[in-house]
Amino acid sequence: MPLIGALPQPITSAPLVFFVYLVLILLIGSALATVLLRNTLYAVGAFAASMVLVALLYLAIAPFLLVALQLLVFTTVSAVLLIGLLRATTGLRTSSVGRLSPEWIIGGAVSAILFALLALVLGASSWPVQPCCAIQESFGGVLANTYAVGLAVLAVIVASAALGSGLMLIGPTRPSPRGGGERSGRR
Amino acid sequence: MSAGLNLLLVASAALFAVGVFGVVARRSAVVMLLGTQFMFMAGALAFVAFARFGLGAQHGRAGATTALFAGAVAVAELAVGLAMAALIYREHRSFALDADRG
Repeated sequence: MPLIGALPQPITSAPLVFFVYLVLILLIGSALATVLLRNTLYAVGAFAASMVLVALLYLAIAPFLLVALQLLVFTTVSAVLLIGLLRATTGLRTSSVGRLSPEWIIGGAVSAILFALLALVLGASSWPVQPCCAIQESFGGVLANTYAVGLAVLAVIVASAALGSGLMLIGPTRPSPRGGGERSGRR
Repeated sequence: MSAGLNLLLVASAALFAVGVFGVVARRSAVVMLLGTQFMFMAGALAFVAFARFGLGAQHGRAGATTALFAGAVAVAELAVGLAMAALIYREHRSFALDADRG
């Protein structure tokens, strides 16, 4: 249930808190799986799971329209684009770079330093939290009235991405360089 | 036990760090693009968290709206990036960005 509009207090309902923690843990886990898995197909699957988990998280803290758009539009278009890419190429081979290679060590160090820096900023900052003002118009109303031009641009962008993903999907499938694929399109 | 602004901001920071790892450590164009997607996702999550728990709650739906725009931009970036990845694959038969090193 969307909670925007209520007082900006932390969520204290035990089932909802458990839900938020569970979704966050699964989200970080699937994000890690996406960047760590060496098989591109599995990485894409983990990424799609991450998108769905973000939508589930929005279910607890954001307007339902954002949940629906995240789940139905962003997740679908992203997944179709990635599947289209894998069909147009093969992309299923595992990475040639082994774990504990210099790239992984440098990437892990940069990532850890950045996270520590962000955590330091978060810990040192006292974010102002005040009681919420009067509840304003609905999310759809704000989009249609205040952000009409942005909404139109957004619709064009997403429609273009959806068109591109559709074109990728109807294109011919390339044969695998390893001989494992099967040509399904016309020559 | 509660779930508030700090929890979501820490999760957002962790998600951003994971995305940075994907961009820095991996050579595959696809995984690097997915890393940038996680960074977009982290920013959108922070916007939504501030809109729900912070001062952003005073400004109605601005945080969620920004998250919506960030999501659309992320999808568009993914579309352009994947088209580039497809071109890289056709040229080198690999998604590795340094495939021309031999």
